[in-house]
Amino acid sequence: MAEFTIDALGEACPIPLLKAQKKCKEIQVGDVVIMNIDHSCALKNVPEWARKEGYNVEVEEVEEGVWDIYIEKTA
Amino acid sequence: MTARAAAELEHLKKLMLKDAWPYWVGGILLGLLNIIIFIYMASPWGVTTTFVFWGAWIYELFGGHPETWSFFTMQAPMMQTLKGGLLNHGGSIINIGLIVGAFLATAAASQFKIKKIKSSRQLVAALVGGLMMGYGSRLAFGCNVGAYFSGVSSMSLHGWVFGIFIFIGAYLGSKLVVKYLM
Amino acid sequence: MSETPVTSMIRKRPQTTIKKKSQIGYTIAALVVVVAVGMFLAQTKILLSIIWFIGITLGVVLQKSRFCFTASLRDPILTGSTTLTRATLIAFAVATVGFAALQFTTILKGGPITGNVSPVGVHTAIGAVIFGIGMVISGGCASGTLMRMGEGFTMQWVSIITFILGSVLGAIHFGWWTENFFNAAPKIYLPQTLGWAGSFFGQLAVLALLYVIATWYEYRKAN
Repeated sequence: MAEFTIDALGEACPIPLLKAQKKCKEIQVGDVVIMNIDHSCALKNVPEWARKEGYNVEVEEVEEGVWDIYIEKTA
Repeated sequence: MTARAAAELEHLKKLMLKDAWPYWVGGILLGLLNIIIFIYMASPWGVTTTFVFWGAWIYELFGGHPETWSFFTMQAPMMQTLKGGLLNHGGSIINIGLIVGAFLATAAASQFKIKKIKSSRQLVAALVGGLMMGYGSRLAFGCNVGAYFSGVSSMSLHGWVFGIFIFIGAYLGSKLVVKYLM
Repeated sequence: MSETPVTSMIRKRPQTTIKKKSQIGYTIAALVVVVAVGMFLAQTKILLSIIWFIGITLGVVLQKSRFCFTASLRDPILTGSTTLTRATLIAFAVATVGFAALQFTTILKGGPITGNVSPVGVHTAIGAVIFGIGMVISGGCASGTLMRMGEGFTMQWVSIITFILGSVLGAIHFGWWTENFFNAAPKIYLPQTLGWAGSFFGQLAVLALLYVIATWYEYRKAN
Protein backbone atom coordinates (compact mmCIF):
# COMPACT_ATOMS: atom_id res chain seq x y z
CA MET A 1 0.00 0.00 0.00
CA ALA A 2 1.68 3.15 -1.22
CA GLU A 3 1.22 6.57 0.34
CA PHE A 4 1.17 9.80 -1.65
CA THR A 5 1.07 13.27 -0.14
CA ILE A 6 -0.27 16.26 -2.02
CA ASP A 7 0.38 19.72 -0.67
CA ALA A 8 -2.60 21.82 -1.69
CA LEU A 9 -2.12 24.55 0.91
CA GLY A 10 -2.92 27.98 -0.48
CA GLU A 11 -4.51 26.63 -3.64
CA ALA A 12 -7.72 28.26 -4.79
CA CYS A 13 -10.89 26.41 -5.64
CA PRO A 14 -11.11 24.09 -7.53
CA ILE A 15 -7.48 23.11 -7.63
CA PRO A 16 -7.45 20.77 -4.60
CA LEU A 17 -10.32 18.71 -5.96
CA LEU A 18 -8.80 18.58 -9.43
CA LYS A 19 -5.48 17.42 -7.98
CA ALA A 20 -7.21 14.78 -5.88
CA GLN A 21 -9.13 13.48 -8.88
CA LYS A 22 -6.01 13.37 -11.02
CA LYS A 23 -3.94 11.54 -8.40
CA CYS A 24 -6.64 9.01 -7.58
CA LYS A 25 -6.85 8.08 -11.22
CA GLU A 26 -3.14 7.30 -11.33
CA ILE A 27 -2.74 5.25 -8.16
CA GLN A 28 -3.46 1.58 -7.48
CA VAL A 29 -6.24 0.08 -5.45
CA GLY A 30 -5.18 0.06 -1.82
CA ASP A 31 -3.00 3.15 -2.16
CA VAL A 32 -3.67 6.16 0.00
CA VAL A 33 -3.54 9.83 -0.92
CA ILE A 34 -3.01 12.36 1.84
CA MET A 35 -4.01 15.86 0.88
CA ASN A 36 -3.09 18.93 2.93
CA ILE A 37 -5.61 21.71 2.50
CA ASP A 38 -6.59 24.99 4.10
CA HIS A 39 -9.60 25.81 1.94
CA SER A 40 -13.04 25.36 3.48
CA CYS A 41 -14.57 24.54 0.09
CA ALA A 42 -12.09 21.74 -0.49
CA LEU A 43 -12.81 20.45 3.01
CA LYS A 44 -16.31 19.74 1.79
CA ASN A 45 -16.03 18.93 -1.90
CA VAL A 46 -12.99 16.65 -1.83
CA PRO A 47 -14.39 14.14 0.72
CA GLU A 48 -17.80 14.39 -0.93
CA TRP A 49 -16.37 13.45 -4.30
CA ALA A 50 -14.15 10.71 -2.88
CA ARG A 51 -17.00 9.12 -0.95
CA LYS A 52 -19.19 9.22 -4.03
CA GLU A 53 -16.48 7.25 -5.82
CA GLY A 54 -16.69 4.71 -3.02
CA TYR A 55 -13.29 5.48 -1.50
CA ASN A 56 -12.52 5.45 2.21
CA VAL A 57 -12.12 8.97 3.48
CA GLU A 58 -10.94 10.36 6.80
CA VAL A 59 -10.42 13.99 7.63
CA GLU A 60 -8.17 15.22 10.37
CA GLU A 61 -7.78 18.76 11.53
CA VAL A 62 -4.08 19.45 11.87
CA GLU A 63 -4.36 22.98 13.23
CA GLU A 64 -6.69 25.96 12.92
CA GLY A 65 -7.93 26.02 9.36
CA VAL A 66 -5.62 23.26 8.12
CA TRP A 67 -6.73 19.71 7.41
CA ASP A 68 -5.36 16.44 6.11
CA ILE A 69 -7.72 14.43 3.97
CA TYR A 70 -6.89 10.74 3.73
CA ILE A 71 -8.31 8.99 0.69
CA GLU A 72 -7.93 5.26 0.26
CA LYS A 73 -8.62 3.97 -3.23
CA THR A 74 -10.83 0.98 -2.72
CA ALA A 75 -11.82 0.07 -6.25
CA MET B 1 -23.64 17.93 34.93
CA THR B 2 -23.36 14.24 34.23
CA ALA B 3 -20.70 12.89 31.93
CA ARG B 4 -23.42 11.92 29.46
CA ALA B 5 -24.89 15.44 29.42
CA ALA B 6 -21.44 16.95 29.02
CA ALA B 7 -20.77 14.71 26.05
CA GLU B 8 -24.12 15.65 24.49
CA LEU B 9 -23.31 19.33 24.93
CA GLU B 10 -19.92 18.90 23.32
CA HIS B 11 -21.56 17.10 20.41
CA LEU B 12 -24.15 19.85 19.98
CA LYS B 13 -21.48 22.54 20.13
CA LYS B 14 -19.56 20.71 17.46
CA LEU B 15 -22.59 20.37 15.21
CA MET B 16 -23.54 24.01 15.51
CA LEU B 17 -20.18 25.68 15.59
CA LYS B 18 -17.68 23.42 13.97
CA ASP B 19 -19.35 21.25 11.36
CA ALA B 20 -20.41 22.57 8.01
CA TRP B 21 -24.11 22.76 7.26
CA PRO B 22 -25.55 20.88 4.26
CA TYR B 23 -25.76 22.85 1.03
CA TRP B 24 -29.54 22.53 0.85
CA VAL B 25 -29.90 24.14 4.26
CA GLY B 26 -27.85 27.06 2.97
CA GLY B 27 -30.06 27.19 -0.09
CA ILE B 28 -33.28 27.48 1.89
CA LEU B 29 -31.80 30.05 4.29
CA LEU B 30 -30.44 32.19 1.44
CA GLY B 31 -33.82 32.10 -0.27
CA LEU B 32 -35.48 33.29 2.93
CA LEU B 33 -32.81 35.93 3.54
CA ASN B 34 -33.28 37.37 0.04
CA ILE B 35 -37.00 37.71 0.72
CA ILE B 36 -36.23 39.48 4.01
CA ILE B 37 -33.83 41.81 2.19
CA PHE B 38 -36.46 42.57 -0.45
CA ILE B 39 -38.87 43.51 2.33
CA TYR B 40 -36.46 45.70 4.30
CA MET B 41 -34.53 47.29 1.47
CA ALA B 42 -37.38 47.63 -1.03
CA SER B 43 -35.32 45.71 -3.56
CA PRO B 44 -33.69 42.27 -3.56
CA TRP B 45 -30.16 41.31 -2.56
CA GLY B 46 -27.40 42.74 -4.71
CA VAL B 47 -23.67 42.98 -4.13
CA THR B 48 -21.91 44.73 -6.98
CA THR B 49 -23.67 48.09 -7.34
CA THR B 50 -22.17 48.84 -3.92
CA PHE B 51 -18.70 48.43 -5.43
CA VAL B 52 -19.38 51.37 -7.75
CA PHE B 53 -20.08 53.50 -4.68
CA TRP B 54 -17.01 52.23 -2.85
CA GLY B 55 -14.90 53.16 -5.86
CA ALA B 56 -16.57 56.56 -6.08
CA TRP B 57 -16.05 57.37 -2.39
CA ILE B 58 -12.42 56.22 -2.51
CA TYR B 59 -11.91 58.40 -5.61
CA GLU B 60 -13.44 61.29 -3.69
CA LEU B 61 -10.97 60.76 -0.86
CA PHE B 62 -8.20 61.36 -3.37
CA GLY B 63 -9.82 64.58 -4.57
CA GLY B 64 -11.72 63.10 -7.51
CA HIS B 65 -15.21 64.00 -8.70
CA PRO B 66 -17.24 60.83 -9.23
CA GLU B 67 -20.44 62.86 -9.51
CA THR B 68 -19.36 63.57 -13.11
CA TRP B 69 -19.60 59.88 -14.05
CA SER B 70 -22.52 59.12 -16.34
CA PHE B 71 -23.64 56.37 -13.96
CA PHE B 72 -24.59 59.12 -11.51
CA THR B 73 -25.48 62.00 -13.81
CA MET B 74 -27.92 59.78 -15.70
CA GLN B 75 -29.49 58.12 -12.65
CA ALA B 76 -30.87 60.48 -10.02
CA PRO B 77 -31.44 57.86 -7.28
CA MET B 78 -27.82 56.73 -7.64
CA MET B 79 -26.63 60.33 -7.37
CA GLN B 80 -28.67 60.75 -4.21
CA THR B 81 -27.10 57.64 -2.68
CA LEU B 82 -23.66 58.91 -3.63
CA LYS B 83 -24.28 62.16 -1.79
CA GLY B 84 -25.56 60.25 1.24
CA GLY B 85 -22.25 58.65 2.02
CA LEU B 86 -21.14 55.21 3.24
CA LEU B 87 -22.82 55.16 6.64
CA ASN B 88 -26.24 55.78 5.12
CA HIS B 89 -25.80 53.15 2.43
CA GLY B 90 -27.62 49.89 3.08
CA GLY B 91 -25.72 48.13 0.32
CA SER B 92 -22.38 48.96 1.93
CA ILE B 93 -23.57 47.93 5.36
CA ILE B 94 -24.87 44.60 4.13
CA ASN B 95 -21.64 43.86 2.22
CA ILE B 96 -19.40 44.69 5.17
CA GLY B 97 -21.73 42.71 7.43
CA LEU B 98 -21.24 39.73 5.15
CA ILE B 99 -17.47 39.90 5.51
CA VAL B 100 -17.70 40.19 9.29
CA GLY B 101 -20.29 37.42 9.50
CA ALA B 102 -18.08 35.06 7.53
CA PHE B 103 -15.17 35.90 9.83
CA LEU B 104 -17.35 35.33 12.89
CA ALA B 105 -18.46 31.91 11.65
CA THR B 106 -14.91 30.85 10.79
CA ALA B 107 -13.52 32.03 14.12
CA ALA B 108 -16.33 30.37 16.08
CA ALA B 109 -15.28 27.08 14.52
CA SER B 110 -11.63 27.89 15.27
CA GLN B 111 -10.89 27.52 11.58
CA PHE B 112 -9.59 30.98 10.80
CA LYS B 113 -6.27 31.12 9.00
CA ILE B 114 -4.75 33.72 6.74
CA LYS B 115 -4.17 32.11 3.36
CA LYS B 116 -1.40 33.87 1.47
CA ILE B 117 -1.15 33.96 -2.30
CA LYS B 118 1.03 31.13 -3.47
CA SER B 119 2.31 32.21 -6.88
CA SER B 120 2.44 35.14 -9.27
CA ARG B 121 -0.01 33.30 -11.54
CA GLN B 122 -2.54 33.27 -8.71
CA LEU B 123 -1.96 36.98 -8.20
CA VAL B 124 -2.56 37.73 -11.88
CA ALA B 125 -5.66 35.52 -11.86
CA ALA B 126 -7.06 37.42 -8.86
CA LEU B 127 -6.37 40.81 -10.45
CA VAL B 128 -7.71 39.94 -13.89
CA GLY B 129 -10.65 37.98 -12.52
CA GLY B 130 -11.70 40.83 -10.26
CA LEU B 131 -11.54 43.33 -13.10
CA MET B 132 -13.68 41.10 -15.31
CA MET B 133 -16.27 40.59 -12.60
CA GLY B 134 -16.44 44.33 -11.96
CA TYR B 135 -16.96 45.31 -15.58
CA GLY B 136 -19.14 42.31 -16.44
CA SER B 137 -21.54 43.01 -13.60
CA ARG B 138 -22.02 46.58 -14.83
CA LEU B 139 -22.98 45.36 -18.30
CA ALA B 140 -25.35 42.73 -17.04
CA PHE B 141 -26.96 44.92 -14.36
CA GLY B 142 -25.70 42.66 -11.61
CA CYS B 143 -23.68 39.64 -10.60
CA ASN B 144 -24.39 36.09 -9.48
CA VAL B 145 -26.51 37.61 -6.73
CA GLY B 146 -28.19 40.67 -8.23
CA ALA B 147 -28.71 39.48 -11.80
CA TYR B 148 -28.77 35.72 -11.38
CA PHE B 149 -30.23 34.93 -7.94
CA SER B 150 -32.38 38.05 -7.54
CA GLY B 151 -33.12 38.50 -11.23
CA VAL B 152 -34.42 34.98 -11.74
CA SER B 153 -36.35 35.10 -8.47
CA SER B 154 -37.94 38.36 -9.63
CA MET B 155 -39.20 36.53 -12.72
CA SER B 156 -37.13 38.75 -14.98
CA LEU B 157 -35.91 37.44 -18.30
CA HIS B 158 -32.51 39.10 -17.83
CA GLY B 159 -31.88 36.78 -14.89
CA TRP B 160 -32.41 33.65 -16.96
CA VAL B 161 -30.31 35.00 -19.81
CA PHE B 162 -27.60 35.87 -17.31
CA GLY B 163 -27.78 32.35 -15.93
CA ILE B 164 -27.22 30.73 -19.31
CA PHE B 165 -24.25 32.93 -20.13
CA ILE B 166 -22.58 32.89 -16.72
CA PHE B 167 -22.61 29.12 -17.10
CA ILE B 168 -20.80 29.48 -20.42
CA GLY B 169 -18.37 31.90 -18.81
CA ALA B 170 -17.72 29.46 -15.96
CA TYR B 171 -16.98 26.76 -18.53
CA LEU B 172 -14.46 28.96 -20.33
CA GLY B 173 -12.94 30.01 -17.02
CA SER B 174 -12.53 26.38 -15.99
CA LYS B 175 -10.61 25.66 -19.19
CA LEU B 176 -8.26 28.52 -18.33
CA VAL B 177 -7.81 27.30 -14.76
CA VAL B 178 -6.92 23.77 -15.83
CA LYS B 179 -4.57 25.02 -18.51
CA TYR B 180 -2.74 27.76 -16.63
CA LEU B 181 -3.29 27.44 -12.93
CA MET B 182 -2.88 23.77 -12.12
CA MET C 1 -16.76 2.14 13.09
CA SER C 2 -14.60 -0.63 11.72
CA GLU C 3 -10.96 0.09 11.28
CA THR C 4 -9.92 0.78 7.72
CA PRO C 5 -6.32 1.10 6.59
CA VAL C 6 -6.85 4.84 6.63
CA THR C 7 -8.07 5.07 10.21
CA SER C 8 -5.25 2.85 11.39
CA MET C 9 -2.85 5.09 9.51
CA ILE C 10 -4.13 8.10 11.41
CA ARG C 11 -3.97 6.26 14.69
CA LYS C 12 -0.38 5.24 14.14
CA ARG C 13 0.73 8.72 13.05
CA PRO C 14 2.86 10.49 15.66
CA GLN C 15 0.67 13.09 17.28
CA THR C 16 2.05 16.39 16.07
CA THR C 17 2.65 18.72 18.93
CA ILE C 18 0.93 21.71 17.28
CA LYS C 19 -1.37 22.76 20.04
CA LYS C 20 -4.78 23.54 18.66
CA LYS C 21 -5.92 26.78 20.16
CA SER C 22 -9.55 27.67 20.30
CA GLN C 23 -10.16 30.97 18.55
CA ILE C 24 -12.58 32.10 21.19
CA GLY C 25 -10.70 35.40 21.43
CA TYR C 26 -11.33 36.26 17.78
CA THR C 27 -14.92 35.13 18.13
CA ILE C 28 -15.62 37.35 21.09
CA ALA C 29 -13.89 40.29 19.42
CA ALA C 30 -16.03 39.76 16.33
CA LEU C 31 -19.21 39.57 18.41
CA VAL C 32 -18.32 42.80 20.17
CA VAL C 33 -17.84 44.50 16.80
CA VAL C 34 -21.15 43.08 15.53
CA VAL C 35 -23.10 44.37 18.53
CA ALA C 36 -21.27 47.71 18.73
CA VAL C 37 -21.79 48.52 15.05
CA GLY C 38 -25.40 47.38 15.32
CA MET C 39 -26.01 49.73 18.23
CA PHE C 40 -24.16 52.59 16.55
CA LEU C 41 -26.21 52.28 13.38
CA ALA C 42 -29.45 52.02 15.34
CA GLN C 43 -28.85 55.56 16.51
CA THR C 44 -29.00 56.88 12.97
CA LYS C 45 -31.76 54.65 11.67
CA ILE C 46 -33.05 51.34 13.02
CA LEU C 47 -33.34 50.06 9.46
CA LEU C 48 -29.58 50.31 8.98
CA SER C 49 -29.05 48.25 12.10
CA ILE C 50 -31.42 45.58 10.79
CA ILE C 51 -29.59 45.55 7.46
CA TRP C 52 -26.29 45.11 9.33
CA PHE C 53 -27.60 42.04 11.13
CA ILE C 54 -28.98 40.64 7.87
CA GLY C 55 -25.51 41.06 6.38
CA ILE C 56 -23.92 39.26 9.33
CA THR C 57 -26.41 36.43 8.89
CA LEU C 58 -25.63 36.19 5.18
CA GLY C 59 -21.95 35.84 5.99
CA VAL C 60 -22.58 33.18 8.61
CA VAL C 61 -24.92 31.17 6.37
CA LEU C 62 -22.63 31.34 3.34
CA GLN C 63 -19.58 30.34 5.34
CA LYS C 64 -21.16 27.59 7.39
CA SER C 65 -22.81 25.93 4.43
CA ARG C 66 -19.71 26.52 2.24
CA PHE C 67 -22.16 27.92 -0.29
CA CYS C 68 -20.52 28.81 -3.58
CA PHE C 69 -22.36 30.04 -6.67
CA THR C 70 -19.13 29.73 -8.61
CA ALA C 71 -18.94 26.04 -7.84
CA SER C 72 -22.65 25.58 -8.62
CA LEU C 73 -21.97 26.73 -12.17
CA ARG C 74 -18.48 25.32 -12.60
CA ASP C 75 -18.61 21.89 -10.99
CA PRO C 76 -21.20 20.20 -13.23
CA ILE C 77 -18.69 20.34 -16.07
CA LEU C 78 -15.44 20.32 -14.12
CA THR C 79 -16.06 17.63 -11.54
CA GLY C 80 -19.46 16.19 -12.38
CA SER C 81 -20.99 17.33 -9.13
CA THR C 82 -24.34 19.12 -8.95
CA THR C 83 -25.00 19.23 -5.20
CA LEU C 84 -24.38 22.98 -5.06
CA THR C 85 -26.27 23.54 -8.29
CA ARG C 86 -29.29 21.85 -6.78
CA ALA C 87 -28.95 23.93 -3.60
CA THR C 88 -29.03 27.13 -5.69
CA LEU C 89 -32.18 25.88 -7.41
CA ILE C 90 -33.75 25.44 -3.98
CA ALA C 91 -32.73 28.99 -3.07
CA PHE C 92 -34.26 30.29 -6.30
CA ALA C 93 -37.50 28.42 -5.72
CA VAL C 94 -37.88 29.69 -2.16
CA ALA C 95 -37.11 33.28 -3.20
CA THR C 96 -39.42 33.08 -6.24
CA VAL C 97 -42.35 32.30 -3.98
CA GLY C 98 -41.61 35.13 -1.56
CA PHE C 99 -40.78 37.63 -4.30
CA ALA C 100 -43.93 36.83 -6.25
CA ALA C 101 -46.02 37.43 -3.15
CA LEU C 102 -44.34 40.80 -2.60
CA GLN C 103 -44.57 41.83 -6.25
CA PHE C 104 -48.15 40.71 -6.57
CA THR C 105 -49.35 42.64 -3.52
CA THR C 106 -47.58 45.79 -4.73
CA ILE C 107 -49.09 45.52 -8.21
CA LEU C 108 -52.54 44.80 -6.80
CA LYS C 109 -52.32 48.06 -4.84
CA GLY C 110 -51.61 49.86 -8.11
CA GLY C 111 -47.87 50.05 -7.60
CA PRO C 112 -45.05 49.43 -10.07
CA ILE C 113 -43.21 46.20 -10.78
CA THR C 114 -40.69 45.75 -8.00
CA GLY C 115 -37.69 43.44 -7.84
CA ASN C 116 -34.67 43.16 -10.08
CA VAL C 117 -36.09 43.51 -13.58
CA SER C 118 -33.40 44.94 -15.84
CA PRO C 119 -32.95 45.58 -19.56
CA VAL C 120 -32.08 42.37 -21.36
CA GLY C 121 -30.00 42.22 -24.51
CA VAL C 122 -26.65 41.28 -25.93
CA HIS C 123 -24.97 43.25 -23.14
CA THR C 124 -26.46 40.76 -20.64
CA ALA C 125 -24.81 37.89 -22.44
CA ILE C 126 -21.48 39.65 -22.81
CA GLY C 127 -21.48 40.81 -19.20
CA ALA C 128 -22.42 37.38 -17.89
CA VAL C 129 -19.74 35.57 -19.87
CA ILE C 130 -17.07 38.00 -18.73
CA PHE C 131 -18.31 37.72 -15.15
CA GLY C 132 -18.35 33.94 -15.35
CA ILE C 133 -14.78 33.71 -16.56
CA GLY C 134 -13.66 36.23 -13.95
CA MET C 135 -15.28 34.47 -11.03
CA VAL C 136 -13.78 31.11 -11.85
CA ILE C 137 -10.24 32.35 -12.38
CA SER C 138 -10.28 34.55 -9.29
CA GLY C 139 -11.71 31.78 -7.13
CA GLY C 140 -14.90 33.49 -6.06
CA CYS C 141 -17.97 35.30 -7.32
CA ALA C 142 -19.36 38.51 -5.79
CA SER C 143 -20.75 36.98 -2.59
CA GLY C 144 -17.93 34.44 -2.57
CA THR C 145 -15.30 37.16 -2.69
CA LEU C 146 -16.79 38.92 0.33
CA MET C 147 -17.15 35.64 2.21
CA ARG C 148 -13.57 34.63 1.53
CA MET C 149 -12.29 38.04 2.58
CA GLY C 150 -13.81 37.26 5.96
CA GLU C 151 -12.24 33.78 5.95
CA GLY C 152 -8.75 35.20 5.49
CA PHE C 153 -8.00 34.54 1.82
CA THR C 154 -5.59 37.25 0.73
CA MET C 155 -6.36 36.37 -2.89
CA GLN C 156 -9.83 37.82 -2.44
CA TRP C 157 -8.48 40.91 -0.69
CA VAL C 158 -6.58 41.44 -3.94
CA SER C 159 -9.41 40.66 -6.35
CA ILE C 160 -11.78 43.05 -4.55
CA ILE C 161 -9.46 45.91 -5.54
CA THR C 162 -9.80 45.24 -9.26
CA PHE C 163 -13.44 44.24 -8.76
CA ILE C 164 -14.07 47.80 -7.54
CA LEU C 165 -11.89 49.21 -10.32
CA GLY C 166 -13.79 47.27 -12.98
CA SER C 167 -17.08 48.45 -11.51
CA VAL C 168 -15.86 52.05 -11.63
CA LEU C 169 -14.82 51.68 -15.28
CA GLY C 170 -18.23 50.25 -16.03
CA ALA C 171 -19.87 53.18 -14.26
CA ILE C 172 -17.81 55.69 -16.25
CA HIS C 173 -18.78 53.91 -19.48
CA PHE C 174 -22.40 53.69 -18.40
CA GLY C 175 -23.41 56.51 -20.73
CA TRP C 176 -21.90 54.83 -23.78
CA TRP C 177 -23.49 51.47 -23.04
CA THR C 178 -26.82 53.14 -22.32
CA GLU C 179 -26.90 54.98 -25.65
CA ASN C 180 -25.73 52.01 -27.69
CA PHE C 181 -27.32 49.08 -25.89
CA PHE C 182 -29.40 49.70 -22.77
CA ASN C 183 -31.85 52.20 -24.25
CA ALA C 184 -32.89 49.78 -26.97
CA ALA C 185 -33.15 46.85 -24.57
CA PRO C 186 -36.50 45.91 -23.04
CA LYS C 187 -37.16 44.99 -19.44
CA ILE C 188 -39.05 41.76 -19.67
CA TYR C 189 -41.10 40.83 -16.63
CA LEU C 190 -42.30 37.31 -17.35
CA PRO C 191 -45.84 37.68 -15.96
CA GLN C 192 -46.41 40.45 -18.50
CA THR C 193 -45.73 38.08 -21.38
CA LEU C 194 -46.74 34.72 -19.97
CA GLY C 195 -49.35 35.76 -17.45
CA TRP C 196 -49.11 35.36 -13.70
CA ALA C 197 -50.01 31.70 -13.42
CA GLY C 198 -47.93 30.77 -16.43
CA SER C 199 -44.82 32.56 -15.21
CA PHE C 200 -45.05 31.64 -11.55
CA PHE C 201 -45.90 27.98 -11.91
CA GLY C 202 -43.90 27.76 -15.10
CA GLN C 203 -40.79 29.08 -13.40
CA LEU C 204 -41.19 26.73 -10.44
CA ALA C 205 -41.73 23.86 -12.86
CA VAL C 206 -38.58 24.74 -14.79
CA LEU C 207 -36.59 24.96 -11.55
CA ALA C 208 -37.96 21.57 -10.51
CA LEU C 209 -37.11 20.10 -13.88
CA LEU C 210 -33.58 21.46 -13.71
CA TYR C 211 -33.31 19.92 -10.25
CA VAL C 212 -34.30 16.51 -11.60
CA ILE C 213 -31.86 16.80 -14.49
CA ALA C 214 -29.08 17.86 -12.12
CA THR C 215 -29.74 14.87 -9.87
CA TRP C 216 -29.79 12.46 -12.79
CA TYR C 217 -26.60 14.02 -14.16
CA GLU C 218 -24.68 13.53 -10.95
CA TYR C 219 -25.67 9.93 -10.40
CA ARG C 220 -25.77 8.58 -13.92
CA LYS C 221 -22.10 7.64 -13.90
CA ALA C 222 -22.31 5.85 -10.57
CA ASN C 223 -22.71 2.34 -11.94
